[in-house]
Amino acid sequence: MISPSVMPTIPTVDPNPLPAPYWVLKLLLVVTFYLHILAMNLMLGGAALALLARLTSKGNPMRGRIFLDVAKKVPTLLAATITLGIAPLLFVQVIYGQYFYTSTILIAWPWFLVLALLVAAYYGFYYVAYNGKRRPRAAGVVLFISLALVMLIGFIYTNNFTLMQTPARWAAKYFAAPSGWSLNLADPTLIPRYLHFMTAAVAVGGLLLVLLALARWKHDREYAEYIFQFGGKAFQYATMAQFLVGIWFLISLPRDLRMIFMGDNPVATAMFGIGVLGALAAIFLMSDALRKQNIRMAAFGVTGITAVVILCMSIMRDNLRDAYLKPYFHPDQFAVKTQWAVFPLFLGIFVGGVVLWLVMLKRYGLFTSTRPTEK
Amino acid sequence: MNYPVWDVLFGSGLLIALVAGLHVFVSHFAVGGGLFLVLTERKARRTNDLALLNWLKIHTKFFVLLTVVFGAVSGVGIWFTIGLIAPSATSDLIHIFVWGWAIEWVAFFIEISSALLYLYGWDKLPPKLHEWYGWIYFIAGYASLVVINGIITFMLTPGNWVDVHKFWIGFFNPTYLPSVFFRTAICLALAGIYALITASVQKDAELKARIVRWGAWWTVPSLIALVPLGWWYIHEIPATLFLSARGPMPTATHFASLAWILLAITFVLMLLAVFTPRRLHLVFALVVALVALGAMDSFEFVREDVRKPFVIENYLYDNSLYVYDMPGDGGFTVDNVTNVGVLHAAHWIHQRTITPGNRVEVGREIFRVECQSCHTPNAYRGMHQLIEQRQWDPATVSAMLTGISLMHNGVMPPFAGTDAERGALAAYLNSLQTILPNPATFSNGKLMFENHCSMCHQDRPDDPLFTGLDPNPQVAADSLKNLPGLFPLMPDIKLNRTQRASLVHWVNSQRPAGKSGAASSSATQGGN
Repeated sequence: MISPSVMPTIPTVDPNPLPAPYWVLKLLLVVTFYLHILAMNLMLGGAALALLARLTSKGNPMRGRIFLDVAKKVPTLLAATITLGIAPLLFVQVIYGQYFYTSTILIAWPWFLVLALLVAAYYGFYYVAYNGKRRPRAAGVVLFISLALVMLIGFIYTNNFTLMQTPARWAAKYFAAPSGWSLNLADPTLIPRYLHFMTAAVAVGGLLLVLLALARWKHDREYAEYIFQFGGKAFQYATMAQFLVGIWFLISLPRDLRMIFMGDNPVATAMFGIGVLGALAAIFLMSDALRKQNIRMAAFGVTGITAVVILCMSIMRDNLRDAYLKPYFHPDQFAVKTQWAVFPLFLGIFVGGVVLWLVMLKRYGLFTSTRPTEK
Repeated sequence: MNYPVWDVLFGSGLLIALVAGLHVFVSHFAVGGGLFLVLTERKARRTNDLALLNWLKIHTKFFVLLTVVFGAVSGVGIWFTIGLIAPSATSDLIHIFVWGWAIEWVAFFIEISSALLYLYGWDKLPPKLHEWYGWIYFIAGYASLVVINGIITFMLTPGNWVDVHKFWIGFFNPTYLPSVFFRTAICLALAGIYALITASVQKDAELKARIVRWGAWWTVPSLIALVPLGWWYIHEIPATLFLSARGPMPTATHFASLAWILLAITFVLMLLAVFTPRRLHLVFALVVALVALGAMDSFEFVREDVRKPFVIENYLYDNSLYVYDMPGDGGFTVDNVTNVGVLHAAHWIHQRTITPGNRVEVGREIFRVECQSCHTPNAYRGMHQLIEQRQWDPATVSAMLTGISLMHNGVMPPFAGTDAERGALAAYLNSLQTILPNPATFSNGKLMFENHCSMCHQDRPDDPLFTGLDPNPQVAADSLKNLPGLFPLMPDIKLNRTQRASLVHWVNSQRPAGKSGAASSSATQGGN
């Protein structure tokens, strides 16, 4: 007889075998999560900086322009966030379904409410994009609400994905209240982990502004310089704050898990090293670029480094999950039966889809310097 | 049992109905409306109809705001919701069709991207290029339908997949084709119906009339086509699946009738709109849309309903038990759970032994893992109401649980568990009752039939109750003492003398003339 206090209840693996080797699915999970989190950072950080610009726009028309300019991008970035979020949500269910479904059911109501919050936030962002100019005051309020909603969604996600990797907490939570309101608030890593994501979003939002500055550099230099400074500083301050939040997150982890980043796991340690050094380098490079008004250095150099740092962080996140689940989860528990009749088809369609997508953007004029100005 | 059960007081199934019921109405519009956008744009440009083109810009914005936001989020929402309510089934569908979902995701990504570029490109792109985005949008949207359709139809008619477990066998299952065509017609019909909404608020009556007539070309033929396509669809579904719909709980039959009726009303309303296109009012357009929503959701309910008691026909029951033993089933099969007991097999049970003091609480837990995927204690399909209405005493409830897989021509999975566990479940179900059975009703034969027999038997001359029961009242009444002796699968309900006699009297009174036994038996004390 199983006693929940001794060995946590872990659901049995799905009887249907994996349709591809484990590493393929893992790679797809990490890569698509990376794309999703990039889009999420741009969306959430963009919305946050647009709101900041709106709040400080009194007597400062440049800030008013930033608000309108960035807010118009947010709905598209949210569309990207959702669309790119589907794939990692699929692959996490393929590999970690036993854990994912269970924690999701424990926080069922908040998880279900994500849908309503998301629809409300989404329409709010569209309202701001379409009405920001005519009704800046109302748009500011709506932007604040929508931003709060997507931040709440992020908080629910952090709850789910921390709860998912701590099966020892499940039974007590479930049997105390099976009604689906068991957030993971007692987890000491919850708040620093959440803030780690939110702070990163602000930093990447700053880079969104830098990229917008680059796009406007030739035609609208004054505004572009302003938005460059605004975004670049946001990036710097957020990344500096990230060092504090990151340390908090790190020390909140149980010691044996923390140690995977400090030698116990070579990959995790390397990612951690690259991540920290990359973030430091990005701060200094941005500082230099801001001083020299070198938009290209910021837009390509800092953005490139940050993209690498976020990739390292995505891999670290995956390493951490596997470390959490180490007592229960073993990739060799899966039966694998590669579906050769359909897997190559997916790869072909995937590559074709990416090419088509790039052609679509190119023909729209997004890659040319004479790109059409935004509506 | 493998996963915890989300305890929703009012019934978790209603949440799926809410999310999916709204999603399908938008997602089919997202496909048909895409073709509508490009073809209408082409038509407007060819005829140099600037007013139509300007309306189409507004319509595009309406289209994108509805499909890209609500359509996309509610689509993901179905996935969120089924994962919460039927995690084992969701996991199965994910694992069986990973690459199907992944392909659908690529199509979805292209679909959303091209929708946004089509919307933002209205005033920027040369006409040909703009239409090109529209075509890409439509093709990607239709591709996502074509893929999802394989998975949805698989749930109802997995066909040979159950034996061979091969992707394409499950994907191109017996109802794949009729469903694709049926849904395509729905998509095209909805394109015209949604056009009424944005057309109705146009001030230019001439323009409004042009849009309504153009929309009717999409809707009217499609609605007509739905009739043969629906017929084809129904005929590809094995007749056995419709047995329950034709039995004593004809929910699916009712929804099917409703679907046809609402379809006909949509058709008539659409014709009315065509005959008075200049006067089309927003309220009228919304009524047409609502009726069409009703028709469509009724159809989806039929599909869901005839699938009972399975989530994946012949593979996984609604309560997440597998139908057959197979490698890796985790012991979550009816046979295994019956052998080893729910309390041993299920993962999410707190109290694993039954004592005289905890029977009701253990029963509550068994109810949660075995029954709550469809029933609630007191609300939607509430057991409190179902039992109280039938006036079952505790022994009857316990006996009835042995026969639930036969009830209503098979809409429920069998009870899986030991006799002691069945007793605990019965104890819990009885604890829900607030009114004690009234013995006076035992002498009413018709009530006896309705309360004790009508879950499985029907009031029809060809029903075994009528054909199998001895015409002699005394012999018949005696035979009812041992129901499993009559038919091994019957629940061992202990009817008292009055109940037996009144039931026999009523059965004999229902027989066609000349076939009844001595109806005026002295044993009969009541009856109707």
